[in-house]
Amino acid sequence: MAMQVALKIWRYDPVAGERALREYEVSAPEEATLLDVLDIVKDQVDGSLAYRKSCRMMICGSCGMRMDGAAVLACKTRMYDIAQAGHVPVVSAMGNLPVVKDLVVDMEPFWGKIRKVTPWLEPGYSDPGETEHVVSQERMDVIHKESLCIMCGCCVSECNSLEADPDFLGPAALAKGMRFVGDPRDEATVERLQSYSEKHGIWDCTRCYFCQERCPKGVDPRDAIAKLGAEAMRVGIDSDMGAKHAKWFVTSAKTTGWLRETELVPKTQGIAKSLKEVKFAMGLLRRGKVPPPFPPHVAKDVGEARALYDLVKEQEREGAKGIVQGEKALGHLEPEAHGEGPREPYGEGSFARPYLPEEKEEGA
Amino acid sequence: MRTVAYYKGCLASLSAKELDISTQALAPKVGLELVELERVTCCGAGDIHEAEPDYYLHLNARILSYAEATGCDTLMTVCNVCTLNLRQANFQLQGDAALLERVNANLESVGAPRYSGGVDVLHFLWLVSAGDGYELLKDAAHKGLKGLKIAPFYGCQILRPSKLLGFEDPDRPESLERIIKACGGEPIDYPAKIKCCGFPIIQAREDVALAELIQPIEQAKEAGADAMVTPCPLCHLSLDAWQSKLREQTGRDFQMPVLHLSQLIGVAAGLDDAELKFKRHVVSVEPVVEKLSV
Repeated sequence: MAMQVALKIWRYDPVAGERALREYEVSAPEEATLLDVLDIVKDQVDGSLAYRKSCRMMICGSCGMRMDGAAVLACKTRMYDIAQAGHVPVVSAMGNLPVVKDLVVDMEPFWGKIRKVTPWLEPGYSDPGETEHVVSQERMDVIHKESLCIMCGCCVSECNSLEADPDFLGPAALAKGMRFVGDPRDEATVERLQSYSEKHGIWDCTRCYFCQERCPKGVDPRDAIAKLGAEAMRVGIDSDMGAKHAKWFVTSAKTTGWLRETELVPKTQGIAKSLKEVKFAMGLLRRGKVPPPFPPHVAKDVGEARALYDLVKEQEREGAKGIVQGEKALGHLEPEAHGEGPREPYGEGSFARPYLPEEKEEGA
Repeated sequence: MRTVAYYKGCLASLSAKELDISTQALAPKVGLELVELERVTCCGAGDIHEAEPDYYLHLNARILSYAEATGCDTLMTVCNVCTLNLRQANFQLQGDAALLERVNANLESVGAPRYSGGVDVLHFLWLVSAGDGYELLKDAAHKGLKGLKIAPFYGCQILRPSKLLGFEDPDRPESLERIIKACGGEPIDYPAKIKCCGFPIIQAREDVALAELIQPIEQAKEAGADAMVTPCPLCHLSLDAWQSKLREQTGRDFQMPVLHLSQLIGVAAGLDDAELKFKRHVVSVEPVVEKLSV
């Protein structure tokens, strides 16, 4: 059976430097994906339409693009429900990367960051001779999700920190870094963690979780970055302000139970830098935003939280292991919708506000 | 009345006391009886999850166990970050019997109650934007907002990862808009309402954080908002307190008042000054109050 599919595509002609939103409508098989529809448009309507593709089966990572403002793999996105709902989606190039033509972005900044994390094994093991190196399942579980990355760039497209700091290594490169930090055959763990902990690294992540939301392969890059942070701190690479900030929460929890907010700034930034912030702090103080550290706000029975800290330390689930232990349960998670229940995915109103930064630029 | 265990979290206990005070004052008007938890600690705010992940799991399990010990089936949060941290730990414990048993043995040995997995972690926003809570809110918000233009700012960790939060479409949420309308305000729409305010890195990477923070404030201003509203006290702190840093850095003085969700509803429900505590804000809320008093 065939269906009619309409879509709008943000075209970009690099020779003329012109951008335009064009609408297309074609007949496509009911099982067609966004990529199939683009193929039909290119074949039957406009052969000059540019986009990347290769495997058509969600493993090459070529066809990352945005639909209604959200990064998707075109070959993973079925069009039937969208067409049935009468919705006309807007297709555009991925974000955070320069547009070359139409839906094609320049991936060089992406690859440059992947190269920066040394994306290959630095083995230190001796020659195994006739046998092979056996890595236990338990150890492979640590990097299972990170190994799934197909480097499509969907996470990078949406990263809020990268948008604010183009030099940020970003979710794809850091997840790749964790893939090697967690590999028992790799001997460059400390060097890697030192390098990833520098400016524009682990501690630039703002935890917006867009990478986790968009990744079409379940890599969960934000969790990979948290694992890197946990590993860095486990081996004592903790001089970055981000690491000091995280450590102060631990100190607070096991001493008073609650965050010791007022001490957080000097503990993170150091006394000298925080003294420069006195004027800012005074503004906050006047509004009661700087609670006095004495007497401390202590949780009832905080001794339990202290004892728990000592107890878990003995159980040796430190570093990435502490995060990995929760992955099994979350991997099987299919939470029931709460509140009002699930919305119709393509029902009336569900595409009311497609956010397209490109569209805004065009209008500006 | 729905009885829920109430987890304030760090900010509402101290620097954002106005959030706690307005929430407690509003609760009975929207059908909520709050049982405040006393023995609980910080959820770790994502920082302990990164620094000492196993300790993070135990701290959150302990919070959940004390919530369960109250006999309530719901733990209500008023902060996005608490919501994500507690829900994540809860799903990890509920979905892995061996993990739950190890954590329970540890809880027991320090004298805390065991946790059976019977608590649901729900944000205040979710309790009043749907179902019975929403019906009561519509009645309670009779004083209205006189058509004030309000910019909803969701913050990240009440939307993403949607697998763990799951209340609404993370790209096209509408719970805040629904509440603004029910309170007699006009919700304004702008792209950055689902993006990051920069708070988690505002101390370690202030420049990066400010480049994120300026987007929602600038867009809300351009769209004509009289005020912004957020369900997260961390978003509130950066949006409200760090506006002065944006002024230093960019020379632009937005003077955008930012309300906690409980204050926005509270205004419409007729809470008094002592319950709203607008004086604790860095950016003056006076222009909003004046418009409402006309």
